Amino acid sequence: MEIFGQLFLNSLQISAAYILFSLGLTLIFGVMKVVNFAHGEFFGLVLLLIAIIVPWINSPALPLALNYAIAGSVSILATMACGWFLYHFAFKKFQRDMVGSFVLSVGLSLLMQGLFLEFFGGVPIKLPDLFEGNLRILGGAITTQRLILTVIALLVAVAMCWLIAATKLGKALRAVAEDHEAAMLQGIPYRKIALYGFLIATFLAAIAGALLAPVTVISANVGSDFLIKGFIAIVIGGLGSIPGSIIGSILIAVIESVGGYYFDPSLATLAMFVITMLVLLVRPKGIMGNG
Amino acid sequence: MANSRNTTLAVLTLSLVALAGSLFAGTGFAASLVIWVAINVLLAASFRFVQLIGELNFAIAGFVGLGAYMSGICTAKLGLPFAVALVSAALAATLLSLVVGYITLRTKGPYFMLISFAFTEVLRMIYTQIEYIGGNSGMIGIFPPVLLTDYYPAFVVAIVLLLLLALYRLEQSDFGKVLVAIRNNDAIVQTVGINVHLTKVLCLAISSFVAGIGGALLAHANNVISPGDFSFLLAVYTLAYIKVGGESHIAGPILGASVLTLLAQVAMGFGPYEHIFYGAAIVIAVLLMPDGLVGIIRKLLGLAPRAQVTARH
Repeated sequence: MEIFGQLFLNSLQISAAYILFSLGLTLIFGVMKVVNFAHGEFFGLVLLLIAIIVPWINSPALPLALNYAIAGSVSILATMACGWFLYHFAFKKFQRDMVGSFVLSVGLSLLMQGLFLEFFGGVPIKLPDLFEGNLRILGGAITTQRLILTVIALLVAVAMCWLIAATKLGKALRAVAEDHEAAMLQGIPYRKIALYGFLIATFLAAIAGALLAPVTVISANVGSDFLIKGFIAIVIGGLGSIPGSIIGSILIAVIESVGGYYFDPSLATLAMFVITMLVLLVRPKGIMGNG
Repeated sequence: MANSRNTTLAVLTLSLVALAGSLFAGTGFAASLVIWVAINVLLAASFRFVQLIGELNFAIAGFVGLGAYMSGICTAKLGLPFAVALVSAALAATLLSLVVGYITLRTKGPYFMLISFAFTEVLRMIYTQIEYIGGNSGMIGIFPPVLLTDYYPAFVVAIVLLLLLALYRLEQSDFGKVLVAIRNNDAIVQTVGINVHLTKVLCLAISSFVAGIGGALLAHANNVISPGDFSFLLAVYTLAYIKVGGESHIAGPILGASVLTLLAQVAMGFGPYEHIFYGAAIVIAVLLMPDGLVGIIRKLLGLAPRAQVTARH
């Protein structure tokens, strides 16, 4: 029971971050038919910026939580500005060109990683803990800060789902994802919606990064690890499907925590891959993919 | 017709020059450079072959790695002849690609691209876990046969030229036309009774066969291999060669791989800027020269650009 509780808690923590990350990936794909390889770099950029800002504005007068809040907001805004820039000068030209945009994003990802290494150096950084203390839930242990961050991440994910399910913008996003020409005929401004979709996705990657800042070891290529898991999650779930990406992320998180506990992390990654292949054998377009 | 004969002659002359040049490359840095360029050209051509069906094959790095390890096991661990190593490397890559291709090439869309990327990383992770092949630190002592030691660059160039010719002939054949037709509109291909799925799988298998041989050649050139050599970066660099060279003609990957491999040597002189170099190469090529160097040369020669239909889903 104790192990079960612990594994449940671990899965919950991991899946919260994966959900935010893969929601963004699947959203961009749905709206623009772009698989954004550079998604992990947005995530990494936030972490690296926070890693610079937090020690920089650190002072005894400033509570650590406020420090993190300031650093987080500034970094998220900066990352979204970066996303806006990339949308306008690169991705906009490759909308609905899946292969072309993928190649472009691969190049951008490599370029950004190189620049990160150049500017931030190769030394991994661990920031101070946001909150001290441990809690026990369901017989498993969890640090207070991880619990708080996980809850915030899940709240953001729920808010995101509400935005897509219930608001006018969400409706437009879904309409464009389903059939962008039909959506345009209905008077939905496709270009604007595509930009919003891209920015929301960037925001999701950024906030996932910001929430992981106090608990992750930050390095220039931190995004790559998330990217491969994010890909697997959206492939299992079905590309472009919001519920699919959530299911995929949870599945990946469970495999990672259970497999990592009983075996070792690299075996867990192998298991993810094998399970993905099995899913694709039965459902060639993923669990929630149709057609 | 005279034009095409001239082209054939030119290609033949260039190949002979390349072969003759590599005979005198010796065993120093020049020899390594010749081998790197040749293998990168081969990998780029293999990558481009899968692009004929409109897919990006990031698994190429995985198959190159598989070929490298397979051939390394054959010669360094089991003491088998080099020829056996080459064949088993090619076969191993081909067989695995049949399995992966069968599962992931069934649907249109980015499924294959994403899975091929994950595949490469998973294979790399598996190598690090196997003690027999050296785990994280890799495998050492993979040498070409004594007979070939002095002529290894020439041998590599010869094999690469042969495989390039084979890939080119395949592309020009009816099979190649079917591949391009699948990229342009797979539904039409299906309606004339061609099994699109199996044709795609076969295309990947041919490309992987070439990649496996590339891996074996690479392993015996470097003498040392480690899992890190076969990360998805290898595939991304290959992508850069094609994007810079241009993908409308097989000359593109040849040109791109040669130019970038040599330029990268210069760039590395300034420092460890590999990521930035290749990343910028891809971004610039994609944004500013959509048909690569081949397109620019065509424009300079006043030739009409070849009708290029890209897959848009």
